[in-house]
Amino acid sequence: MISRVADHAFWLGRYVERTEATARLLATTHNLALDAELEPAQCWRPVIVVAGEEAGFVARHAPEGKDDPSWPGWGDGELVEHFLTWDDVSGVSLHHSARAARWNARSIREVVSLEVWETTNELYLWLASDAAQREFREERYAFYKRVRSLTQLTLGLLRSTMLHDEPLDFIWLGVLLERVSQTARILDVQHHAFSTAARHHEVVETSLWLSLLRSLGGFEPFMKKQQGRVTPEGVAGFLIGEDRFPRSVAYCVKSAYDRLCAIRPESATDLPGGETLARLRALDVHLRGERGDLRDREHVHRLLTHVVDETHAICQGLGRELLGQG
Amino acid sequence: MSALHHGYHGLPGTFDETFGAAVAEGANAGRPELRRVIEALDRLSPDELGRLQALAEKALLDQGVTFSVYSDSRGTEKIFPFCLVPRVVPAADFARLERGVQQRLRALGAFLDDVYGEQRILAAGVIPRELVLGAAGYRPSLRGVKAPGGVRIHISGVDLIRDPSGTWRVLEDNLRTPSGVSYVVENRLLSKRILPRILDAARVHRVDHYPTRLAETLRSVSPVGESETTAVVLTPGPYNSAYFEHSFLARTMGLELVQAPDLFVDDEKVFVRTTRGPRRVHVIYRRTDEAFIDPDAFNPESVLGVRGLMRAYAAGNVALANAPGNGVADDKAVYAFVPDMIRFYLGEEPALEQVQTLVCARDDDRRYVVDHLGELVVKAVDEAGGYGMLMGPQSSAAERDEFRRRIEAEPRKYIAQHRIELSACPTWIADRKTVEPRRVDLRPYILTSPAGPWVLPGGLTRVALADGSYVVNSSQGGGSKDTWVLKEDRS
Repeated sequence: MISRVADHAFWLGRYVERTEATARLLATTHNLALDAELEPAQCWRPVIVVAGEEAGFVARHAPEGKDDPSWPGWGDGELVEHFLTWDDVSGVSLHHSARAARWNARSIREVVSLEVWETTNELYLWLASDAAQREFREERYAFYKRVRSLTQLTLGLLRSTMLHDEPLDFIWLGVLLERVSQTARILDVQHHAFSTAARHHEVVETSLWLSLLRSLGGFEPFMKKQQGRVTPEGVAGFLIGEDRFPRSVAYCVKSAYDRLCAIRPESATDLPGGETLARLRALDVHLRGERGDLRDREHVHRLLTHVVDETHAICQGLGRELLGQG
Repeated sequence: MSALHHGYHGLPGTFDETFGAAVAEGANAGRPELRRVIEALDRLSPDELGRLQALAEKALLDQGVTFSVYSDSRGTEKIFPFCLVPRVVPAADFARLERGVQQRLRALGAFLDDVYGEQRILAAGVIPRELVLGAAGYRPSLRGVKAPGGVRIHISGVDLIRDPSGTWRVLEDNLRTPSGVSYVVENRLLSKRILPRILDAARVHRVDHYPTRLAETLRSVSPVGESETTAVVLTPGPYNSAYFEHSFLARTMGLELVQAPDLFVDDEKVFVRTTRGPRRVHVIYRRTDEAFIDPDAFNPESVLGVRGLMRAYAAGNVALANAPGNGVADDKAVYAFVPDMIRFYLGEEPALEQVQTLVCARDDDRRYVVDHLGELVVKAVDEAGGYGMLMGPQSSAAERDEFRRRIEAEPRKYIAQHRIELSACPTWIADRKTVEPRRVDLRPYILTSPAGPWVLPGGLTRVALADGSYVVNSSQGGGSKDTWVLKEDRS
């Protein structure tokens, strides 16, 4: 398979997944901000941090007030939602991600199925329309719902209308590594924010943890596993290590490792990709080993930082070894 | 209910593709060879055709048979307007065209080998030396380079028109990267889907084997055995207006669609970067203009190019289809000498007419041209797509002055022809819910392997949709029709 084509496939997967994750996080936080007894900044600033867009957000909206923790922008939900939905300065805004997904799909139209192309195209054209602007203004819930439905449709069509061979392996590798990174960042940032903010206030704390689970689509699965017992270490353990939950860090890393093995088997030592495969394998082993005391906030933070850094390095390695970058 | 062609009148002084040379007022049963098709079409009423036409347009959009519009930042794509009423070519007409086009391609191939070799034709004084060596498409650096398999014009699209007597005339030879063949295949799919019974009654040659024949042609010039050959399609990328066709051809031939950064040259061999390491490439069907294929050889600014590609080509390690340097043979001034080439290389008389051409580089011709601009069509020799031309009869005095100035300044850049009354074909006019005559041309596609030229029995019929227009280019408001080449009648 041509490296550039694999690269487009990989990034198609990442951008589709990113669109869905961002829409879910915005919708959940919008909901949380309406009923939790929290300062607005405690709800919204973490969203910007998760997106890795603190600098971009400040540069856009308060170029002179940077480093000021009391800047009201941090608590301005409308500003945050607008920024992460429409602003192309942000590499993760819904508009930017949907456009990038479409561009990658169009660049490999001979590879993706007609249905995948059509839904990817439809989402982008809709986001670029006046109708989408109107829905964003007037019915925020329906807006996010539509973005999520179309991306979920694309994710389903990828698996149901394409050959299950190398191109799909690369697309899915992109989806999974994006998901590892999203789950680890959301958990890390929110875990830190909530543990400091909501101490000694059990009801609020519980609602925060549940919101975190919802933003990762894990509320119902978590409740089934834990039978209603909500604790910080329980949520962290579930989102990091639950091997039957498809958004947990361990599940996604294991699946990504399997996909990469299909592309470049462990035994095929003459093919490129060996370093990246070894690195992914090490991360998988690490996550399945002893995870330590998850009640220790610093420990959880270190563990998640390791996951985020390794995922970043793995993506770079893929680019170098398999996707023709350098 | 009235028949589709009821009340149809041809254009005066114009050959009609369906009704023939003499289109009298009133009753005309049509060309005898087309009787079956006309009868079948006449079972449709204008209302029915309008409904079917809308179906066809919707199908084209749904399938994404589109071309990109450069100016549209939202990245939308538009369909090439399509008229469902077919352009029908009787078997004998096409046979004549086929023989003539094959002859022409053999002569043009010999000319290119000669120009990049011994230059016998120049020594013999058949074509003025400076006209050939001064052509923008002539590449001195390619002199002495042999084309792998001995083929230079693997894919060509020769534009033909018909004069008022119904005689085919070659308008231009497209020997570099002719486009449009995907529409030939897609238009036929629409005819099959929407006019199945009429198509069946007409007994038409198929066109859907073009991609298979193209793939065979590409493999036939490979520097290695056909079974070990890797051939690829090289596209400038999704921003290119013909990207749909590049992707279509790659898909239907089962070849990889690559962009320049996917390829690299090592030790005068070409490789494609894959997820399993580099893989050797032997044949490249390039849809990138030759000026951009190798920054070392031609345009140093090119970012679409592959560094070292021309060295690999010169070493005989990769075949390029079409060969670089072909532009010297489809230069609009050199065109005037193609009949002489046929006589010189083949010792035959030309089987096809062409359009009498005044070459402004010749003093007599130039004097005539500047005195008669109002009657002539003036074309810049190195422009295409209907750009850089003056339609004398429709021009303003200011436009004529401008061209007179340009011609005097650079006579080598211009040629002129008398306007030909292009033939017309019944065409669906949605606004008036009826068929009216509109002018057409025909671009058959020719594939040349070491065994010789093969003509696809069909081609792209382009139609000037605007009332009174002679310009069929898609960039200038033209559309297309399916071209039905009839099989011999069973007797």
